[in-house]
Amino acid sequence: MGLLTILKKMKQKEREMRLLMLGLDNAGKTTIVKKFNGEDVSTISPTLGFNIQTLEHKGFKLNIWDVGGQKSLRSYWRNYFESTDGLVWVVDSADRLRLKDCAQELSALLLEEALALDEIKTHHWCIIGCSAVTGENLLTGVDWLLDDIAARVFTID
Amino acid sequence: MLAYIWQYVYTSFLRYWLKWFIRQATGRCELQRICSGYKPGATRTIKAEYSLQSSKSKVLRGALEADQDKLDQCVGQIMKVKNIKPQKDPLFKGSLYVCLLQITGHSSLYLSVEDLRKEVFNSDNQEHEAALLKLWDLLMPTVKLESRITKQWGDIGFQGDDPKTDFRGMGMLGLINLVFFSENYTEEARQVLSHANHPKLGYSYAIVGINLTEMAYSLLRSGTLKPHFYNTVQGKPELQHFHQLYSYLAYEFDKFWMAEEPESIMQFNQYREKFHNRIKAHLQDPDVSLTLTVRCDKN
Repeated sequence: MGLLTILKKMKQKEREMRLLMLGLDNAGKTTIVKKFNGEDVSTISPTLGFNIQTLEHKGFKLNIWDVGGQKSLRSYWRNYFESTDGLVWVVDSADRLRLKDCAQELSALLLEEALALDEIKTHHWCIIGCSAVTGENLLTGVDWLLDDIAARVFTID
Repeated sequence: MLAYIWQYVYTSFLRYWLKWFIRQATGRCELQRICSGYKPGATRTIKAEYSLQSSKSKVLRGALEADQDKLDQCVGQIMKVKNIKPQKDPLFKGSLYVCLLQITGHSSLYLSVEDLRKEVFNSDNQEHEAALLKLWDLLMPTVKLESRITKQWGDIGFQGDDPKTDFRGMGMLGLINLVFFSENYTEEARQVLSHANHPKLGYSYAIVGINLTEMAYSLLRSGTLKPHFYNTVQGKPELQHFHQLYSYLAYEFDKFWMAEEPESIMQFNQYREKFHNRIKAHLQDPDVSLTLTVRCDKN
């Protein structure tokens, strides 16, 4: 077995995942992604449109789609559902005034057909308290998500 | 690799010998040649900055970090060290002084901008609140704000009912830039706002403004804006010059966006990057001046 074959095999095994970050504006979606990627989080401005962050974690290539949360952008969210492997719904727990809005948006999202959430009868979820500013628990959350997706999608090999 | 070795040899030995040789031949040191050889502006100040930075003398390097009120003394010390006679080169003193004023001024401008950025918008601070309400009045002179927390903020492009959360990473710098543009270029700002509220090509006016503040801030921090400030301010650049630059970006971005006709606001980052590259390309030009020039004929 030559080096080339080994490389080829590795390439085949390269596993990609597509994650989608959603939530109300000012929830901290961009901050979470940047903090997780080890970037400076002190100069973030509101997201217009979306950002894509590609990073490697635990042998997976993660494509994280971070879509702006302001009201006028929410109708575009559905354009990003296709071939999404995991969804991170970000809630700012300090924003008590809008917790109701937040719940409404989430339940509307869960009804979306494109996400096919109702087809997965046992669809998994996990709520993790974390801080995007300090980075506390971010790793725990992402690890849970990756393990869960991996168990679901990549069980064949 | 070869280029790297050449760079090393050049900066550590050749440059020194070459300078010594030319000095012997012309009787003038590098700083003198720079100050008399170039017209005031970016080329001259950037060359002087490089020359001072790579100098072996502590006096010369120290001048780059000197206090503004000590610059006169610094110039005197440099002339002593370099043995420059004022009678032989009467213009040198003034030219070097301006260069140093610009160089140290750029660093202190960054510090002032950074202070303003770190100042978090605080609803209990009356000045902050007043600035926010002023922004509304400047942009929407005929519409009254119904209450401090209202959906109306969306009309000038904030995300939610209370703009305070949108300032985030840019703090008061974002708000002051928005107010400055609306106050000093009121007609242009309203025109930009009307484009931003275009049913098809629209974008969030205030949020885009805050994003452009971030662009201006990061260009300043990386030193990319130096040529612009060295060309446009023959002295110490002040905060208002930074706000002027923001006004230029806000106005030009709008023109750019309307001309490009993006499919939707979701393409914002792609176009932002394109615009950013365009600005950076302008800044490569030694004669760059990113000044908002308003057309007088309005037909």
